[in-house]
Amino acid sequence: MAKPAAIVRKPKKKANPLDKEGITYVDYKDTALLRKFISDRGKIRARRVTGVSREQQGKIAKAIKNAREMGLLPYTSSSR
Amino acid sequence: MANTTSLRHYEVMVILDPSLEERTVAPALDNFLSVVRSEGGSVEKVDVWGRRRLAFEMNKKNEGIYAVMDLQATPSAVAELDRQLKLSEQVMRTKVLRPEQH
Repeated sequence: MAKPAAIVRKPKKKANPLDKEGITYVDYKDTALLRKFISDRGKIRARRVTGVSREQQGKIAKAIKNAREMGLLPYTSSSR
Repeated sequence: MANTTSLRHYEVMVILDPSLEERTVAPALDNFLSVVRSEGGSVEKVDVWGRRRLAFEMNKKNEGIYAVMDLQATPSAVAELDRQLKLSEQVMRTKVLRPEQH
């Protein structure tokens, strides 16, 4: 049972989806953009999934929460 | 620097009762915006999105009439505008934002 001594995980660097499109201000009204950052249950996707910077993730999260308050995005989606 | 003349850019979104007639929305909003104008501010844009489906039920309703307004106004004028909007029964929800701050 020879196990490989050390499994070195090399996560592939994802392309930053915001930088790619040159977006500097995340608008809470832009639901088409924000929908890319929520799961089909309506949860905010983690940064390791979205591949954006910490600052951008914070802005995205804030925008999603603002959009939820105004009924533009769901808090939860019933479709499981 | 708390002088009364300093204008700031605000973005105000309101959700109105869907039972309203859509063509009455713009004049009604204009009525509310008189507060901003009387305090030296200006209205840059009023964008009525019209009827839109809500992502979830709000006040037992599944629809709302959305409108977004861009203003140059004093902080006190916007606070008063928001207060008056919230008092109105036709307004379901409001959001005031300073886009430059985010």
